[in-house]
Amino acid sequence: MRFKLNIITVSLLAVSGSAMATNFGVGNANTDSINMDKYQCKRCVSTNGYNGEVSVSAGYNSVDDIHAGNALGTAEDGGIAAVSGDIRYQNETGYQAQIQAHQLGMDNGFANIKVGKSGLYELELDYQSLKSYQAGDVQSQLWHDDGMLTPSAYTNEFDLALKREKSAIGFNYGEGFYNTFIRYSQEDKTGHQSSSLVAPSPVNFGLPVDATTKQLDAGASLAGDNWLTELSYFGSYYSNNIKDLSLPHMNDVYSATPDNEAHQVSLSGQYQLNRTVMSGRLVTGRMIQDDALIQMSGNPLQSWDGQIDTLDGRFAVTSMLSNRLRLGGSVDYSKRDNKSSVWEFTQYSYNGLSGSFKQNVPQDIERNTYKVNASYRIASGYRLQAGYDRKEVDRSYSEREQTNEDSLWAKLNVSAFDKFNVNLKASHGSRGGSDYEVDEVTSSQENALMRKYYLADRKRNAVELKVNHTPLSWMSIDVTGRYAKDDYDATEIGLTESEDFGYDVNLSLQFSKNLSVYGFAGQQWINSAQAGSQSFSSPDWNADIEDEFINIGTGFSYGGLMQDKLTLGGDYLFSNSISDTSVGGNLVTANGSQPYGDYFSYNHSVRMYADYALSKQMAVKLSYQYERYYDTDAAQVATNAVPGLTTLGELNHDYNAHQVMLSFSYLLR
Amino acid sequence: MSELNVINCSIPVNSLVYYLCKVELMIYRVFYNLFCGVITVLCLSLSAHATPWQNLTGEQLEQKLAEKFSAGDYSSKGADSCLMCHRKDEAVMAIFDGTHGMMNSKQSPMAGLQCEACHGPQGKHNRGGKEPMIAFGKDSKLSASAQNSVCQGCHNDPKQMAWHSSTHNLEEVACADCHTLHSAKDPALDKLSVNDTCSSCHTKEKADMNKRSSHPLKWDQMTCIDCHSPHGSMSESALNKPTINDTCYSCHSEKRGPVLWEHAPVTENCVTCHNPHGSVNEGMLKSRAPQLCQQCHAPDGHASRVVQEPGMDAFGGGKSCLNCHSKIHGSNHPSGSLLQR
Repeated sequence: MRFKLNIITVSLLAVSGSAMATNFGVGNANTDSINMDKYQCKRCVSTNGYNGEVSVSAGYNSVDDIHAGNALGTAEDGGIAAVSGDIRYQNETGYQAQIQAHQLGMDNGFANIKVGKSGLYELELDYQSLKSYQAGDVQSQLWHDDGMLTPSAYTNEFDLALKREKSAIGFNYGEGFYNTFIRYSQEDKTGHQSSSLVAPSPVNFGLPVDATTKQLDAGASLAGDNWLTELSYFGSYYSNNIKDLSLPHMNDVYSATPDNEAHQVSLSGQYQLNRTVMSGRLVTGRMIQDDALIQMSGNPLQSWDGQIDTLDGRFAVTSMLSNRLRLGGSVDYSKRDNKSSVWEFTQYSYNGLSGSFKQNVPQDIERNTYKVNASYRIASGYRLQAGYDRKEVDRSYSEREQTNEDSLWAKLNVSAFDKFNVNLKASHGSRGGSDYEVDEVTSSQENALMRKYYLADRKRNAVELKVNHTPLSWMSIDVTGRYAKDDYDATEIGLTESEDFGYDVNLSLQFSKNLSVYGFAGQQWINSAQAGSQSFSSPDWNADIEDEFINIGTGFSYGGLMQDKLTLGGDYLFSNSISDTSVGGNLVTANGSQPYGDYFSYNHSVRMYADYALSKQMAVKLSYQYERYYDTDAAQVATNAVPGLTTLGELNHDYNAHQVMLSFSYLLR
Repeated sequence: MSELNVINCSIPVNSLVYYLCKVELMIYRVFYNLFCGVITVLCLSLSAHATPWQNLTGEQLEQKLAEKFSAGDYSSKGADSCLMCHRKDEAVMAIFDGTHGMMNSKQSPMAGLQCEACHGPQGKHNRGGKEPMIAFGKDSKLSASAQNSVCQGCHNDPKQMAWHSSTHNLEEVACADCHTLHSAKDPALDKLSVNDTCSSCHTKEKADMNKRSSHPLKWDQMTCIDCHSPHGSMSESALNKPTINDTCYSCHSEKRGPVLWEHAPVTENCVTCHNPHGSVNEGMLKSRAPQLCQQCHAPDGHASRVVQEPGMDAFGGGKSCLNCHSKIHGSNHPSGSLLQR
């Protein structure tokens, strides 16, 4: 590793001094003849004081499925209100303040306040509320209370939704060559998410979520004319307020996510020598988890000492050897050293305690990545880039303890034509590694023909063509086509091949200062093939998965109407996600394959608005949003439709949702 | 009422026909304005004044500007010299709305060499406009590295530490391709518009946001820069954190562990199973269960079974494999080696 690094570094440094740089940085300015005492700037405009706007919105939501709350900012059905704003203040002494708020009062909104003196210090306060909705009115017979899931004849109805509320305070101080920062944040996550337990038959249930993550970051940096360095600390503390879950007749059927903490110290730097720039970083970290373990027969511990030490390093160098040629290279190192204690624990078999013991497996992972690249300007408007990347991964307790992937890539950029910009990129990658062995610790019962797709030999070829055309100064069109294929040529059971291809077209029209129109359309297909063996020998079934995605959008903004008082706008978006699976092989059907049921979704989204200036200080905005959403999944079944399985019911969506909002804005300044 | 008479709609006020006519008039005006707009733009584009340096190649222009910069022939009155001609241009005057136009901050260009701090010495530019100035943006012929050297003259802080080896630098992206200085607010620095800035080039990721499952980027509840550093970073894919998993843990800290029973591909790399930009499958999974699980698990037992139809049994219905193996990200139960409890 060190040898390769030196070769790259020395060769770049040896020739880098010969190239001259065009550096228009103000620090290089020839200011000998300047007399700034004569500067008066009578024509400059002072913006001291307040400027920006604050707005109050009220409206109506028509929502009959809370899933619509993702797009509408809140799942509230009925009247809604929010406050938004973006206000800046500055005075003649350089003191500045900025407040930005968006949809405060709704489930999804944020506020950010920054105050300070430009280039010296800044205090920042931040708040964000983010709620994601999966499904509403979900039903379960299990009721949760303080770690006990009690079955009841009465149905427990709840929403599968998670709310994150994050508050942060940060302060940075420094000028010129030094800077310091400290930032603390706390995020509370609450709600319910879908999960499942084995009792002993599987029961899906709504897992209550109530957790807090605290984050403390601090750092200091120094900067010189041609160097930079930063020392920082990042600490994260996760605590879960939900205990291990029990059923009345079965203790601890579901273990709670344990509290954990992580610490990282990072030292990074950059040094510039003419047109050669070197940068590097070393990060050392530790992840700790020593929560109390569930006490049971066969568990020798009160709490387990889980500890991962990490070390991440990087050194990168890039150099403009001439105005035509740039060379670069980098070396990355990443080590995950699992220092957790190892013990034997009793394991359950399907029908109760079998008495068998099993040791936990502390896996270590070590990665090395080497990259070299070159960029050469063949002629004015023609540039060729090429590179070679090699990734090596070593992991303990694995079927394949070492994998390495070599990739060659090249890009051609043509900007020589007046109204065209063309980018062509191609790459070829090959992954191999040590012998694939079925390891006793990890998978003694795996089929010998199975090759896990993230460890398996793989050939990956990809090509992408991107064309930007600007036929007129007000018109721009981008067309991109891409194709990639993964071939797992040594795999007989598992994922055998996958291809991913598609295109997208983006059109932008700026008809005038006031009127702009855009449109885009794209499709993507991802086809995968895999094989399995129910007879635990050679492949006797296969599955083909054909994913397709369609995306179409258009919109416009038309301002300057009614003596510059009215702006109209609209956006439309259509998206359609489809995944078709079919299984075949002798085990399934003698003739062809058997398709799975529907698994798709589509969404029409329409937004329209009219923004009218009542005066120079006041404006009103009327907006309307429509969401049509449909999704289906044939795997979703009614609560007791499958014997031995209890589900949360069919969580598919089929709804129309509307939002009308009237906003009043007051413009400062 | 008089407006309606113009198109011969002499009809009672507040009647249905009256309002229909009014709508018709509005539509007419929209299309009329649209037509006029197109014609105006066409005329303007055809009659745009050619500058004396328009025929210079990028290299010639850069050479000329370097000579000018080295000569250091700055104007005698600073910004007043520039604004004598350019003050009628709203785009120019918008500099005073933003940070770079502040005259009372010693780090602002407007408190120093003013316009010439970024656009270079005026030289003879004001004498008939015969000399070029340093210009930025998509219409500038100046190389990205030359344009960026202006910005980097001041913006030399840790956020820029990995810029030179970054993909954006190697792809010759200019600062002004993303950032707007002559405005009250730079869209690239606004949480509500930064995703538009990124996705104007990253069109595949723009489409991914709209798939069946994705992070909430399309509603600007999350932003691209929550995970990525556009100025480059010392991690793969310009991620903010040292590794992919560290980046995921910054929001999903409950998955960080360590836990007693790990699921090897989970601890190795979250993107083994997930595509964080979006997927046609739920949970941003690359494939759905049971197929995804069966791409790695083929034991002498139930996991090798072919699931012929979804929704028919516990292997293909509900949460499929996760009906039992729900602790798929790892379990801390002493008896949780099968990730069931």
